[in-house]
Amino acid sequence: MDRRTFIKATGTAILLAPTLIKEVLAAREQSLVAVAEGTDYAAITRKAINTVGGMKRFVKPGDVVVVKPNMGWDRSVKFAANTHPLVVRAVVEECLAAGAKKVKVFDNTCNDPRRCYVSSGIEAALKGMKGVECKHIETERFRKVTLNGTFLKEWELYDEVLSANVYINVPVAKHHGLSKLTLGLKNVMGIMGGNRGYIHRNLDAALADVNAHVKSHLTIIDATRILTAHGPQGGNIADVRVLNKVIASTDIVAADAYATTLFGMRPADIPVTVTAYKRGLGEMNLDKIKVVKA
Amino acid sequence: MKLTTARICQLIFLVLFLILFVQTEYRGRDDINAAVNSFFRADPLVLFSYLFAAKSWSWLLFPAVLMTVATLVLGRFFCGWICPLGTILDLVTSKIRKSTPIKALKGNFKYWLLLPLLSASLFNINLSGLLDPIAILLRAMTFLLYPVLGLVSREGWVGLYRMIGERRDALAPAYSLIRDNLLPFRDTLYPLALLSAAILLGIIALERFETRNWCRNICPLGTLLGWLARFSPFSRVPQVLCGDCGQSRQMCPTSFDKNMLRKEECILCMECLQGCPHERISFRPSLKLKGCGPLLPERRVLLGGMAGGLLLALPIRFRYPEKQSRLLRPPGVRSEDDFLKKCVRCGECMKVCLKNALYPSAYQAGLEGIYTPLLIPRLGYCEYNCTLCGQVCPTGAIPPLPVETKRCEVIGKAVFDKNHCLPFARKIDCIVCEEHCPIPEKAIRSRDVQVMGLDGLIRTIKEPYIVEEICNGCGICENVCPLETKAGIEVFAVKNRTPISPLSVGQEAKPSGLYP
Repeated sequence: MDRRTFIKATGTAILLAPTLIKEVLAAREQSLVAVAEGTDYAAITRKAINTVGGMKRFVKPGDVVVVKPNMGWDRSVKFAANTHPLVVRAVVEECLAAGAKKVKVFDNTCNDPRRCYVSSGIEAALKGMKGVECKHIETERFRKVTLNGTFLKEWELYDEVLSANVYINVPVAKHHGLSKLTLGLKNVMGIMGGNRGYIHRNLDAALADVNAHVKSHLTIIDATRILTAHGPQGGNIADVRVLNKVIASTDIVAADAYATTLFGMRPADIPVTVTAYKRGLGEMNLDKIKVVKA
Repeated sequence: MKLTTARICQLIFLVLFLILFVQTEYRGRDDINAAVNSFFRADPLVLFSYLFAAKSWSWLLFPAVLMTVATLVLGRFFCGWICPLGTILDLVTSKIRKSTPIKALKGNFKYWLLLPLLSASLFNINLSGLLDPIAILLRAMTFLLYPVLGLVSREGWVGLYRMIGERRDALAPAYSLIRDNLLPFRDTLYPLALLSAAILLGIIALERFETRNWCRNICPLGTLLGWLARFSPFSRVPQVLCGDCGQSRQMCPTSFDKNMLRKEECILCMECLQGCPHERISFRPSLKLKGCGPLLPERRVLLGGMAGGLLLALPIRFRYPEKQSRLLRPPGVRSEDDFLKKCVRCGECMKVCLKNALYPSAYQAGLEGIYTPLLIPRLGYCEYNCTLCGQVCPTGAIPPLPVETKRCEVIGKAVFDKNHCLPFARKIDCIVCEEHCPIPEKAIRSRDVQVMGLDGLIRTIKEPYIVEEICNGCGICENVCPLETKAGIEVFAVKNRTPISPLSVGQEAKPSGLYP
């Protein structure tokens, strides 16, 4: 090896080293999914969060945090169309305890926002909490963002999410007519503006495009009760199954993949999950995911 | 305006009217306890036209019976003590310089308005709301003033965001206080907005000729109340202007066209009593019924008015049939004819509608249906769990229904337009309508079919279909259809509006169509 080759090799190694080390570490760091079970929904939510490292891992003192539940439908808590208010409240409390300056909770609802905020029970659950905002979406705050995705080149996203320090995704696990299930990856639709129905024509790619841009730092799936049919809004109590579970993970695809099994389906059955996995947004193979009972 | 008891009473009712108007909106609770419909429910013109047209009784209108009796006893106090439109006229009239009264409006003009309206009711068309003073005021507020207030405030708020961005949040608590308690929730524009406001402005402009010009010469409610008032034993005493003073004429807003008090025009405002320098005036029972015209207007006015009602009632019933297919009425309205007999076109349902789905009909329901509410799904849909329109309707034209019943009421039926709907027209997935369909068993369902895409490749897509038996026509599918402008699914009116029974429709309906 002459000097020139040596210098070239060393230079390349130094340049590539950080990336390589990261890759190796990432490969070693198995996706962790925490599953907590119990009838005290606030307690199991806390347990699940603590199992993935505790809220302090994600929220630093002074942070602005967006907690995005699913509260898109004018349905009461028992119908499992919206995230359970106790789960949302527990997540918000953990954020505050970790030192969050402000926690913002909202959703771009499908039914009338006033009714959704009331019927979901979430507005009432957060009432009076200091440092917590539960405001309706204000359309002027949607900002056109360049996504350069495979389907969406640009889309309007909510500025409060874009400017937040931490984004915590808190979906409820539900059946969905088109995507079969709606979990963490699809919950991101609640921060999208514009003609959202448009993305249904290529939903899998569109959701991967948006999730690639807006990373969920923590995904907490509410499976205290799940909607097994006639989703995403249900309305028939016979379609609801009570599981008393809360799932948490920093890997949104892994969280979705695990939640899929609760419906007796495999992650590979859900095109949204598969597309996100192929896009490198997370792990969907259950044998490569470490599931920890919290 | 001097603050006497009557003036204070007027102001209280005006403020009450405004408060109730603002309260006629969803503010976090499913039920509205007190709405602006209270004014209509106590409105004798609404009562009589309802009785004549519907030829049936509704307890909703019991307050109007009380008002009728009170007027028979006390006189036309409503106009001088309660009517919010009258109060507005009193507030502005001093700013408007007067010329001479319009001759054409004198005499029997008002009967030529009132009688045809009431007789048209007998022929099953309830038009009285068109000229009811409270309805005129409410419509101008609902269709123009309130939306303008909302738009201006919101534009200001949005403009602030464009200027200072997230720092606007510092002001958010103040703004949300105003928004939640005063402003309309959504910015909505209405057809007939300018006409509605122009009618109100026209009434105010009439003050240029004499005080309370509308009230004494035109208002059908005032005319009706005046006619009832002539039976009242109470009257101003003395009934003539005093020869040595005559100041009452200047003080009186309505009744002293001549030297004799016109009892049916006296609105009991008490201005003359308060202002009399000699303290001669009193209001007390007086047996001598002087100062009234004949009990009934002249025969030709009476007969002519009745005939006018007939002429009014029949020819305006013409409707373009193609408009009827999209003539969607609020939930619970089962029959168009019955609806036209009861609807007073006050505009409250349109004011309260949660999703701003209801708009005044301009031409869709023909001339006879002007200002009646019409559901336009592309602009707003009927929210599944909302019952507000039925709660505020003063006559029950939109029946007040418990939410379980209302969900089953049929507004129309949804139909796919396969030339536009994406899975049919472009062979790609969509299913936004199915997602939003609120019926627990889904009136819109989909099945997997193999189709040849426009690119020539065979693929599996979800093709939607409608289970008509459980579609209530709420219109959310048409509202959310992601196609631009025209929707791929539309709600059409149906004659048979038998309620659906979603709970009994549990089984999978048989799909029909080309694909197995």
